[in-house]
Amino acid sequence: MRATEVRPTGVERTFGENEMIVTKTDQRGVITYANDLFLQISALREDEAIGRPHNVIRHPDMPRAVFKLLWDVLAERREIFAYVLNLAADGAHYWVLAHVTPSYDGAGRVVGYHSNRRRPAPAAITAVSDLYARLRTAEARAASPRDAVQAGWQALGNELRERGQEYDELVWSLTNGSAR
Amino acid sequence: MRRGGEDPRPGLATDDALRAITDTFRSVSAGDFESRVPPIGDTETAIATRTAVNGLLDRVDAFVREAGAASAAAAEGRFYRRFLTTGLQGAFRSSAEQVNQSLDAMSRNAARISQADLARLSLADELESAVLTVSEQVATAATQMGASANGLASFARGAISDAERGLETVTSLRAASDQIRDAVDLINQVASQTRLLALNATIEAARAGSAGKGFAVVASEVKTLANETTSSSEEIMGQVSTVQQAAADAVGVLEGVSRSFREISDLIDGIAVAVDGGAAAGTTGLSQLAEVLRAEVSRFVATIRSS
Repeated sequence: MRATEVRPTGVERTFGENEMIVTKTDQRGVITYANDLFLQISALREDEAIGRPHNVIRHPDMPRAVFKLLWDVLAERREIFAYVLNLAADGAHYWVLAHVTPSYDGAGRVVGYHSNRRRPAPAAITAVSDLYARLRTAEARAASPRDAVQAGWQALGNELRERGQEYDELVWSLTNGSAR
Repeated sequence: MRRGGEDPRPGLATDDALRAITDTFRSVSAGDFESRVPPIGDTETAIATRTAVNGLLDRVDAFVREAGAASAAAAEGRFYRRFLTTGLQGAFRSSAEQVNQSLDAMSRNAARISQADLARLSLADELESAVLTVSEQVATAATQMGASANGLASFARGAISDAERGLETVTSLRAASDQIRDAVDLINQVASQTRLLALNATIEAARAGSAGKGFAVVASEVKTLANETTSSSEEIMGQVSTVQQAAADAVGVLEGVSRSFREISDLIDGIAVAVDGGAAAGTTGLSQLAEVLRAEVSRFVATIRSS
C-alpha cells in the first residue's frame, strides 16, 4: 500500500501520441480495471490500484471545482472531457486529456465509469494550467473545503461566462485548436 | 511496473489461461465492454498476452464510445465534439477520420439548413408585409368603391324617379290634348249647325224680299263666321295632333331613360354586393376577402416560422 501523502517531486512524465491510459471504476469511483500504461505511469502495481478510489492519483494542484464538474456531468449520464493533472505514487506528475463516460449494462443502468486518457498538446496544457491556477487561488481563499469547492465553482463559472463557452466547449476549443 | 518477484503466484496452466481469454472475448463479443482478461500468470508471455489482449479491447472500447458519443453530439448540433483520433492507429484512426469527415459534412449541411431557415423566415416576413399592404389597400379601395356605389345608386334612383315624374307630366299633357280635341269637335258641330241656320236665314230673307235685305247681310256674316270657326278648329286640331305626337315621342324617350337607369341601378347593386358582400346570397365581399387573405397568409407565415 502506498503512503497516504505523496509529495510531488516536480518530475513530469509523458506518454506517447498513440498510447492511451485506460481505467474503469465502479459507480463509486473505485478502480476495477487499469491498463498497463496507467500502472506504469502512475508507478503502481496492479494490486495497489485495483480496489482503490480513483483519487489515489489526485494531484494537489487540481482545483476541486473540476472534479465537482466531472461528477455532476457523469451524474447526468453525460460524457465529459477534462484536462487533468495526475500524481504518480513516486511523486512524478503527468497531464492527460481525460474522456470519462458512464458504462451501461444491457438494461441501460449505469454500472460504472470508463476513462480514456490521451496525451494533451503542450499549448492546451499551458492554457489549462493558467486557468486551474486561478481556480486554486479562489479555492485557497475559502475557509473550509466545502466553501473551497463553492469558490472554485464560482470562479470556473465566471471564467466560462467571460469566454461565452461551456466547459466542454472550452476543452474542445483547446483540443481542436492544438490539433490543427 | 510489474514486479513478478514480489508475487509468487505460479503461472496458470495454459488451458486455464486460454479459457480466461476465451471467456473475456465471448463477453466482449456479446457487447459487454466491461470485461477484461484477468491476470493469467506471471510468465513474460502470460503478461504480454494479457496486455496485448486487453490493449486491443481498450482500443475497441474507446472506438465504440467515441463513435457513439461523437454522433450523438452531432445530432445535438455540437459539431465541435469530434471523434478524438489521438491514441488510435491504422484502420482505427482512418475510420475515425472518416467519421470526422462525415461530421464536417453534417456540420456544413446544418449551417446550410440554418441559412435556408433564415432565408425562409425573411421570405415569410416579406410575404406577410406585402400581403398586409395589399389587404389594407384592398380594404381602403373597397370602402371607397362601396361609398361610390352608394352614391351612384342614389343618383340612379333620383334619375328614375325624375323620369317617372316626366312620364306623368307628359301623360297628363296627352289627356289635356284629348279634352281640347273634344272641345274642338263640339265647336265644329256648333259651327256646322250655325252654317245651316245661316243658310235657312238667307232663304227666308230672300222670300221676304226687300224687307229681308238687311237680314240677308246678317245671315251672310254669320255664315262667314261659321266658316272661319271651322277653319280655326282644323288648325287647332292640327296643332293638337302635333302636340300629341310630340308627347308620344317624349313618353318613348322617358321610358328608355328610365329603363337605362334601372339597368345601371342593377349593375351598381352588383358592384355593391361584390364590394360589401351579399348577406342574403351568402357571398363574401371584397373587404372580407382581403381580411380572409390576410388571416390565411398569417396562418401560413406562422406555420413557416414554427416549422
